[in-house]
Amino acid sequence: MIPLTMRISVRKNTGRIFSLWLPLFLIWLVAIPVIILLSPLVLLMSLILWPTRKGKIILYFFPVFFSLVWCMSGLNIDIQTKSGTFYLNLL
Amino acid sequence: MSEERKKILEMLSEGKINVEEAERLLSTLSEDTGTTPEDSGKNPRYLRIMIEPGPESENPDRVNIRVPLKLIRAGLKLASFIPKDAQGKVNEALHEKGIEADFSDIKPQNLDELVSQLNDLTVNIESKETVKVFCE
Repeated sequence: MIPLTMRISVRKNTGRIFSLWLPLFLIWLVAIPVIILLSPLVLLMSLILWPTRKGKIILYFFPVFFSLVWCMSGLNIDIQTKSGTFYLNLL
Repeated sequence: MSEERKKILEMLSEGKINVEEAERLLSTLSEDTGTTPEDSGKNPRYLRIMIEPGPESENPDRVNIRVPLKLIRAGLKLASFIPKDAQGKVNEALHEKGIEADFSDIKPQNLDELVSQLNDLTVNIESKETVKVFCE
């Protein structure tokens, strides 16, 4: 499932804190129509560049990239060190 | 193991319920989730990496990473788009570290097999730090 929210938090022992909760579902609402509108352009570009190897890469890269984004839901990274902490969670 | 299943087994170990009741509750739970107790652990979804300091450790660092197996699969597919020059540099760097692996040899048909083998992976190292790598 596509990640709907992202929480990222960086805390340094010096006292500096960076914390962000990002509602990704709002970004997808904007991004998905843009991607659909741009997809014929990408297809055209890949056809033009097909004689070179780049056309094939462009055509195959986007589905693989989106499958990567699609699978990110559930990723959780929590690192605590002497100098600070890092937390990333995609739901 | 799901939270409900764990709770049932805890109740059984505490003697709050008997074996028949535990079995009945587990089968009800399996019907609800559509899985049997035997295959509940067969399809892990995440690779978990945990590093915790031991009692004698001077290093307080803790690492807790949960990576969806689907993400690993997709990431390996994306790796095939790395230019050959860069792949060569990666292979060189791995060779310097004593790892003889060539990522250009990994073909899409091998990926599923590679990731499915991760299901059975369990690494448990207990020294100053406890390192656990497993699928859940």
